[in-house]
Amino acid sequence: MLELNAVSRSFGGLMAVNDVGFSVQAGEIFGLIGPNGAGKTTLFNLITGLTPVSCGDIRFDGHNILGLPPHRIATAGMARTFQNIRLFATMSVLDNVRVPMQAFTRAGLLAGLFGLPASRSQEREMLEKSMALLELVGLADKAGDPAGSLPYGARRKLEIARALALKPKLLLLDEPAAGMNLAEKGELSGFIRDIKQRFDLTVLIIEHHVPLVMGLCDRLAVLNFGRLICVGRPEEVRKDQCVIEAYLGASHAAS
Amino acid sequence: MNIALFLQNILNGLSIGAVYSIFALGYTLVFSILGIINFAHGAVFTLGAYCTYALAVGDFGLNGLLAGLSMPFRLPFPLALLGGSLIAGITGVLVERLAFRPLRAKGADALLALVSSLGVALIIVNLLQMLVGAEIYSFPSDIFGSLPMAMIVKVGGKVLAVRTVQIIILAVSMVLLVLLAWFMNRTRMGKALQATAENPETASLLGINVDRYIVSTFFISGVLGGLAGTLIGASFGLAGPYFGVSYGLKGLAVIVLGGLGSIPGAVLGGVVIGLGEAFLPPDYSSLKEAVAFIMLFFILLARPQGLLGRQTIQKV
Repeated sequence: MLELNAVSRSFGGLMAVNDVGFSVQAGEIFGLIGPNGAGKTTLFNLITGLTPVSCGDIRFDGHNILGLPPHRIATAGMARTFQNIRLFATMSVLDNVRVPMQAFTRAGLLAGLFGLPASRSQEREMLEKSMALLELVGLADKAGDPAGSLPYGARRKLEIARALALKPKLLLLDEPAAGMNLAEKGELSGFIRDIKQRFDLTVLIIEHHVPLVMGLCDRLAVLNFGRLICVGRPEEVRKDQCVIEAYLGASHAAS
Repeated sequence: MNIALFLQNILNGLSIGAVYSIFALGYTLVFSILGIINFAHGAVFTLGAYCTYALAVGDFGLNGLLAGLSMPFRLPFPLALLGGSLIAGITGVLVERLAFRPLRAKGADALLALVSSLGVALIIVNLLQMLVGAEIYSFPSDIFGSLPMAMIVKVGGKVLAVRTVQIIILAVSMVLLVLLAWFMNRTRMGKALQATAENPETASLLGINVDRYIVSTFFISGVLGGLAGTLIGASFGLAGPYFGVSYGLKGLAVIVLGGLGSIPGAVLGGVVIGLGEAFLPPDYSSLKEAVAFIMLFFILLARPQGLLGRQTIQKV
C-alpha cells in the first residue's frame, strides 16, 4: 500500500528524516512511534506531499507519488488528520465533512451554478453520505454548529470523519489520542478498528500513548533523531535494545 | 433638510455605495484567499469600463494608437457590460498568472506580490493610455435605448430626480450581491473556496486543487472590478486611464472600514461610505474624495478590526 525507500529530508543542516525505508501492507494498522522531535510528523508531511523530499522514493498503491501536489495524492486515496486539529472552524460541522467530497463530483461548474438535476441529485447524495459519517462519529445532532464550537474530543472525531469523506485507502492519524482522557483513549482503539473494517482501510498512526499503540498496531516503526531504528511487531519492538535506549537512555538498556 | 432632499441623498448614496461594495468585494475575495491586497484591481476596474465602452459605443477617440478607428459592431449596453466584465475577469486571471503565481511557486514572501501587482497595474493603465489616449470618454445619452435619462418624482411638493443609471446600478448590484452570497454559501465551489480561504494547506490535503480556486477567485474578482468600472463610467464618464486610481484607494478604505476579509463587511463598508459622500453638504463638496478616509479614521479609532471584522488573535 505504502512504500518508503531511503527517504530523507533536511532543513538547513538538520536531517529531520534520514534514510527511512519501510512498507505498510494493505489492511494493516501500522504504528509510527519515537521520542519528541524524532521526525514523525515531518514524515507524514513528506508522505502527503506537503513537504518535498530531499531524496528517496515514496510509492503509494503501486504508483510513485514523488512530486505530486497534495490534492492529487489526497484524491488518489490518502487522507490524514493533524496533531494540532485543523478544522475549518468558521464553517459548520456538516460543511467540514462536505468539503472533501467536492473532489468526486462529476457535474461541472455550470451544472452546479444553475442547480441542474444531475447536480441536485449529487448534492442529495453528498448530504446523505456526510450525515452518515457524522452519525458514525456521533456528531449528527451537531451538524449545523460551527466546527470551532465543538469540545476537544468531538473535534478530533470530526477531523477523522472529514478524512473519511475523502474515501481514503490509507488513513494517516497524527496523534489521535493527544489531549483525550483515559476513557476516550480506551474507546479510540475500538473506533479505529471499527472504521478500518467498515471502510476497508490501511491505517498509519503516530501515537505516544504506549498501551494504545501496543494493543492496536499490527506492526510498528520506531524513529529516533530522524532515523529508523526498528520495525517489527509490538512485542518485538518492546524488547529491542535500540528502542529502550532511545526512550530511556543507554544506562537502562544495559541494566 | 426636506424629505425630498433626504431621499435624494439616500438614493445617491445607495447607488454609488453599491458600486463601491461590488468593487471592494473584488479586493476582499482575493484577500480572503491569499491574505494580500491585489493592487491591480483598480486597473482592472478601469480596463473593464473601457472595454464596455468600446463594445457599446465602438469608437476609440482622437488620441492613442487606435485613434480614429471604430469597432465594426455595437452591442446593446447589457451585452457590452457582460463582455467588458468578462474581459476584466480574464485580465484578473492574467494578473494572477503574471504577478502572483510565479512568486507563490518560488515560495516568496506574500508581500512581494503587492509590489508585482502594482507593477501590473501600471502596465495595464499605460497600455490603455497608449491605445486610447488620456481624453475623457462619456457614454452617450441614448446608451440605455429608449429609457429616459431620468425620472422626476414629486415628494411632498419637492422634486426628486431619479437618474435611470442609478436605478440600473442598484438593480445590477443587488442581483450580483445575491448571486455572490448564494455562490459562496450554497454551492460546492463556494464551500471549497471558503475552506481554501480558511486554510489552503488543509484544503489541499482534502483534495482541493488550491491553484484552480485561486484562479477562479481572480476571475470573479476581475468580473466584479470590470462591472463596477463600467457602472461608474456609465454614471460619471471615463475620465482617462487613471480614473481607476482614486476608486482603487477608496475601495481599500471600504474593505478596511468593513473589516478586512469579511464579505458582509465589504458590502456594508461600501454603502456606509457611499451614504457618507452623499450626505456631505454641498459647501464642502471639494472634500468628497476625503470623506472615505475621514470616516475610516474615526471608525478605526472605535473599532480597529473594522465594522464587521473579526478580532484577530495573535497566534504564537
